[in-house]
Amino acid sequence: MSDAAYSRFKSKKRSERTINALTLLIVIVFALIVLFPIWWIFRTSLMTNPEIYQYPPALLPKNWLFSNYEKTMQIFKFWKYLWNTMIIIVPSCLGGTFTATLCGYAFARLRFRGKQLIWSLCVGSMLLPAMVTLIPLYIGWTRGLGLQDSYLPLILPYFCGGGAFNIFLIRQFILSIPRELDQAATIDGAGYFRILFSIIMPAIKPAMIVVAMFIFIGLWNDLLQQMIYINSSDKYTIALGITNFKGQLKQDWSMTMAATCLSFAPGVIFYLIGQKYFVEGITLTGLKN
Amino acid sequence: METFNKPQQRRSRLHSNEASVAYICLIPAILGLIFLTYLPLLGVLGISMTNWTGLKKPEFIGFSNYITLFTTDPYMKDSILATLYFAFLSVAGSMIYSLFIAMLLNRKIPARGFFRAVFYVPFVLPAAAIYVGWSWLYEANFGFFNYLLSEIGLNKVLFIADSNYVVPSLSLISVWLSGNLIVIFLAGLQNVPSVYHEAAEMDGANGWNRFRHITLPCMTPIIFYNLLLSLIANLQVVTPALALTNGGPGNSSRFMTYLMYDQAFVNYKLGYACATTFIVFAILAAFTAVLFKTSKRWIYSEGDDDK
Repeated sequence: MSDAAYSRFKSKKRSERTINALTLLIVIVFALIVLFPIWWIFRTSLMTNPEIYQYPPALLPKNWLFSNYEKTMQIFKFWKYLWNTMIIIVPSCLGGTFTATLCGYAFARLRFRGKQLIWSLCVGSMLLPAMVTLIPLYIGWTRGLGLQDSYLPLILPYFCGGGAFNIFLIRQFILSIPRELDQAATIDGAGYFRILFSIIMPAIKPAMIVVAMFIFIGLWNDLLQQMIYINSSDKYTIALGITNFKGQLKQDWSMTMAATCLSFAPGVIFYLIGQKYFVEGITLTGLKN
Repeated sequence: METFNKPQQRRSRLHSNEASVAYICLIPAILGLIFLTYLPLLGVLGISMTNWTGLKKPEFIGFSNYITLFTTDPYMKDSILATLYFAFLSVAGSMIYSLFIAMLLNRKIPARGFFRAVFYVPFVLPAAAIYVGWSWLYEANFGFFNYLLSEIGLNKVLFIADSNYVVPSLSLISVWLSGNLIVIFLAGLQNVPSVYHEAAEMDGANGWNRFRHITLPCMTPIIFYNLLLSLIANLQVVTPALALTNGGPGNSSRFMTYLMYDQAFVNYKLGYACATTFIVFAILAAFTAVLFKTSKRWIYSEGDDDK
């Protein structure tokens, strides 16, 4: 390599290193900005009310008043709300994932009459926004089936395939598994359900976890449906609890922020545990489409 | 003859067995499609033609709900405008923000996985709590944003209590929440073949040109997907209004889905609310259709060059 080319190569290397360092700096700044609101909320939850109204506001609380949380939990029944939320989420995730897998399997592997029609109805429903069917479903569940102030209208829909999008996801994933695997099992005399349970399901575990996670996030973020189906306060979920708490305590910001942090906590913990799947799952959806 | 028929019979029995397994697997989905999707859709149309309040027997009143909505309803027009305004700011903001962050994260930097996790965190927090939490940052006297404004010598702003600022303020939260878009963009960026970049670099293309002529075209399918996802989500926005603003101040955050909620579950005008729902549905469908229609023109796919 000539000297000139070598020095050009070196200077290019150097400039690339500067750009990467600069990138890292910008990423750190943005990461701090993104985390800042969460920090601000948390720091407020540990302060006394006079401290909150101080000018200029402090970045750190003077004494970390974790006792605020005890005080808050006397009104904001966190454990109760969390339990109620889980009563909705756990069966929904299990039912949704299981039925989505059944349907995805049928669409990906089995031959039957009317497949094309059912498949297109399924894909069509993906484009139907959830809010459109809200009122008729409400009437159906409460008037038709008498399910007032009940979790069932929130849970049961997930036992009906877990949403077209999830069926789609599972189907795509099964299609990527080589058919030779189930053919070999057929020769060995395994039935269709046997193949599904002992060959397909273990192979698509990542996709099933992703589906469960999407259902979790969907229910976790929902407020509207919980609001219309649940009335009595001992059935409140976290979302309903925090919304109502805000209404009750208009000015006590430290307690309101403590309740907010409590509501954040399960999601963050869940996320830290399942981080790998979260990111994989989101990636999966983006690329499969 | 007999021996010739036998395998066929067996195959058809196997076939019918396969079909019945399929139908068993599909029972839940078929029930869902009928009772949770398509019948309710027809139901919306049907109920929207009545004056049902949930108490008396509904009467058929034709299109008069729709006529009222478009002529005398005090909220409809404001509601559509507020929703479009919110969706525009949120979609544009989240797309630019998340593509920008994804491109930064796509470079060789240490702890990339950690940073990706950080940007994703807001997405896993329950939406209702997020709005409550941010309402403190937006607080009129002691909120953090007003502290910032006073530091740089500007007047205080009421943010979510000011009809001019409420929609941009809420949009900022929704941009903050768009961590899922970042992860999808990042996955897409990692799939852009690096040979293209190397070849362009050989030819002396600078950073901007490579972004404009390689990254952007290769990313169009992902951009389309994210655009669709975020448009549909933001046009259905309702949580901030439910958790925080109650549609106010004035009608400035009375988003369409909130309007529907208000009509149906606060005022019990079920027929009227269904008419609103159908209009919202039409607007959403129109946006989706336009996006799909124009997508053929700007989505780049390999092998299209010959056409």
